[in-house]
Amino acid sequence: MGELAEVSQLRERVDHLFALIGNPNVGKSTVFNRLTGMGVLTANYPGMTVGVNLGETEYAGERIGILDLPGTYALGAVSEDQVVARRGILEGKPEVVVVILDATNLARNLYLLLQVLDLEIPAVAALNLADEAERQGLHTDLEQLNELLGIPVIPTVATRGDGLDRLMRAALELAHSPGEFFPVPFYYATDIERHAREIAAEIGRSGLEVPHGIPARALAILLLERDEEFALMLRESDKSGGVLSLVERARDEIRRTHGNDAAVVIARERYGIAGSIVEAVQHRTERQRPSWGERLWEYTTDPRSGLLILAAVLAAVFFALFFLGDLLARAFSDLWEVLAAARLERMIYGLLGEGTLGVAVKWGLVDGIEAALSVAIPYVFTFYIILALLEDTGYLNSVAFLADRVMHRLGLHGRAVIPLISAAGCNVPAVMGTRVLSTRRERIIASTLIVLIPCSARTAVIIGGVSRYAGWGYALLLYLILFLLVAAVGVGLNRLLPGRSSGLVMEVFPFRRPSARTMLSKTWMRLKDFVFVATPIMLGGSFLLGLLYGSGWIFKLEAPLRPLMEGWLGLPAVAGLALIFAFLRKELALQLLLVLATGTATASLAGFMDHRQIFIFALVNAIYIPCAATFAVLLRELGWRTALAISAFTVLLALLMGGLVNLVS
Amino acid sequence: MPSEAVEEYLEAIFKLSSEGREVGLTRLAEHLKVTPASVSEMVRRLEREGLISYRGRGRGRGAEEEKGPGAGRGPRGGAEPRRGISLTPKGERLARTLVRRHRLSERFLTDMLGLDWETAHQEACRLEHALSPDTEERLAELLGNPHTCPHGHPIPDSRGRIPPSKLKRLSDCCEDESGCIDRVEEDEPQMLQYLASLGLLPEVEVEVREVAPFNGPLLVKAGGAQYALGREVASKIWLREK
Repeated sequence: MGELAEVSQLRERVDHLFALIGNPNVGKSTVFNRLTGMGVLTANYPGMTVGVNLGETEYAGERIGILDLPGTYALGAVSEDQVVARRGILEGKPEVVVVILDATNLARNLYLLLQVLDLEIPAVAALNLADEAERQGLHTDLEQLNELLGIPVIPTVATRGDGLDRLMRAALELAHSPGEFFPVPFYYATDIERHAREIAAEIGRSGLEVPHGIPARALAILLLERDEEFALMLRESDKSGGVLSLVERARDEIRRTHGNDAAVVIARERYGIAGSIVEAVQHRTERQRPSWGERLWEYTTDPRSGLLILAAVLAAVFFALFFLGDLLARAFSDLWEVLAAARLERMIYGLLGEGTLGVAVKWGLVDGIEAALSVAIPYVFTFYIILALLEDTGYLNSVAFLADRVMHRLGLHGRAVIPLISAAGCNVPAVMGTRVLSTRRERIIASTLIVLIPCSARTAVIIGGVSRYAGWGYALLLYLILFLLVAAVGVGLNRLLPGRSSGLVMEVFPFRRPSARTMLSKTWMRLKDFVFVATPIMLGGSFLLGLLYGSGWIFKLEAPLRPLMEGWLGLPAVAGLALIFAFLRKELALQLLLVLATGTATASLAGFMDHRQIFIFALVNAIYIPCAATFAVLLRELGWRTALAISAFTVLLALLMGGLVNLVS
Repeated sequence: MPSEAVEEYLEAIFKLSSEGREVGLTRLAEHLKVTPASVSEMVRRLEREGLISYRGRGRGRGAEEEKGPGAGRGPRGGAEPRRGISLTPKGERLARTLVRRHRLSERFLTDMLGLDWETAHQEACRLEHALSPDTEERLAELLGNPHTCPHGHPIPDSRGRIPPSKLKRLSDCCEDESGCIDRVEEDEPQMLQYLASLGLLPEVEVEVREVAPFNGPLLVKAGGAQYALGREVASKIWLREK
């Protein structure tokens, strides 16, 4: 377990390092974006799907590095967000932790702050969404809150940037004089404090090396709470026996005394402290009339109207992906052709001649860039903007609530709906979108289903090939087969993979007005990922294809494919070449087939394949591992072993289905 | 008059089975902090004396593994005989008397003598074996016949009856029902801790806002926020009606 290299590099560069932490959806990212602008970097702990964002800013002439930790409700070890947020604090060792509090749900937000203070880390707090709380009739006495906590609390309206200046000043002051941090100490029930004292004393006696050097009392409390990560770290040491058995005894005693697990008792105590603070600082007057947005929002989770709204939203997402994406795609590729393609092509042929190398470089650069511009980026961009909108308004969680049941059958939960839908646009962002799922098992299932869903490129082959030459009935049949396949694979994987789908526990947010700035910066950060992962592969793939085609090498592969293609699938062997190289860019399957079979892309498909063969060809093309870019993204998101397993599975499935159709028809 | 050890066992079995899970030998051994060997010996003895019945692990799925879509629809029991250790009517009567004496003693020690909960619990463990029925009644009268112990658990009446429980699983609630969380089942410590960090804790009031169709999740309001809880999760949360 090491510190993130990105964090240590950042620390080298800056004068001070701060961390932002807060509950999900409290405006933390907005604060982060306001402070750091667009130049942000995401770092991931190995095996973790949620990352830490890193940014820099300058304040009062000093360079300040900022860690944006994942939104979390607590600093425990029971979910990935919690683990990453805690490691960000303990390993990143920021000088000051800025805790963003949501004034509309202060008690639960103070819970997190109390945990930070338990670790005795210098902290300042931002009271965000105070305007929203006022509208709900919740008035907060800031001075009183300041006094009760003993740490600076700054009111902010992150969406407008109000208060951020003061927040930075307060954090900087604390960074300059960390010795002057005196939060008001708070205590749990007397018996818990007594156990904590005894355990802390035993930790001191044992000569144990305390993980991350946290205070002994904090470690004692964490152990009483049965924190798995720390318990595990302690068990590795041979000096911990006395401490751990003392903890077990104390936990037993607490259970007997309070009638509940110690973790629950301590959480209750912490909520008690938070609650008494809230009672002292907040008073309630009549709430203002809810806005139309809020009232509409209630309908999104109503089982009846909610499903209608969901259907409308999904239709809109589809529409946007197909039409807006298509519009952008055409605009991009037209622009590319008009502005650069022809000139670039002339230049390449001029420099390298029209031989093998020239053709290869032309395919790689001219066609490769066009593919990136016309296929991937427009759809990916459109999808990410939509995703950011759905996330930032809080609608994604309403969807998850509604779709949960159906998704459970596939071993997923509600949140998986959006990536699955988006897969019909492009698989690459969909696989990245599985980051909204919390366990690896869910991400593997969702990713496998995603690669089976025909993206726009495969749809182009189905519409342009099957529907055009064999009739729309065949195309519809093909979609039906694919749909059933996705459902069957989901149910099957759910049975086969160890573990089970995690129970759904998720906050359903009230409507929040999204900030265009935060949405754009989120979209850019994700798009950046895509551009740097997928585009080079598209270029490289196109280059390789050009090389093989230009040199005629491609036809040497025909003979070994013959038994499989002709014997099992009933297709001409040359179709196998098209299928193999469509791995580089899926929408090329048809064109490639024509080029390879007849040497020209303008010949008619009907000339050398019958309806049945076209159908099998498109089916196999739709099922087997989508394309190099998707493979690369699987590799990056899930590791090579899983990426290879998913790919091999889809290839076998494609051959199996193709062969079956060939046999029965 | 049964021995103190027998009484301890009966009490333990009573407590564990009121948690709504199967009582197995291992769990009982853990609870009583004795070896599994001595537990199985004692269980045989109690069975001989007609105080408990014991059905060992057989075919079929244990209650703890029942996680399928149908799980958690109402409290278990009813037609299907309980697996594991359960009290016979005779054993149950004895256990309830003990529990009554224990909880009355706790009340007395905390309310009258001002001891803290933990000390009161330990003292009550000794007192419960020593009280006679007469002392028990006088104690109850003195305390004004309380219904709950300091921890909020019910005190059986003098005939061993427990007032009908108003507990139900959150997963059995309908839209607009509300109540107070009584307890959260503990078979998944991680889930318990996660719920606790969200403030879904005993003694917290919750209100069911929506119930998704087809056995879908519930939308629950608690402490100023709304949470979607899947059925499996909601079936672990027991509500007390107000």
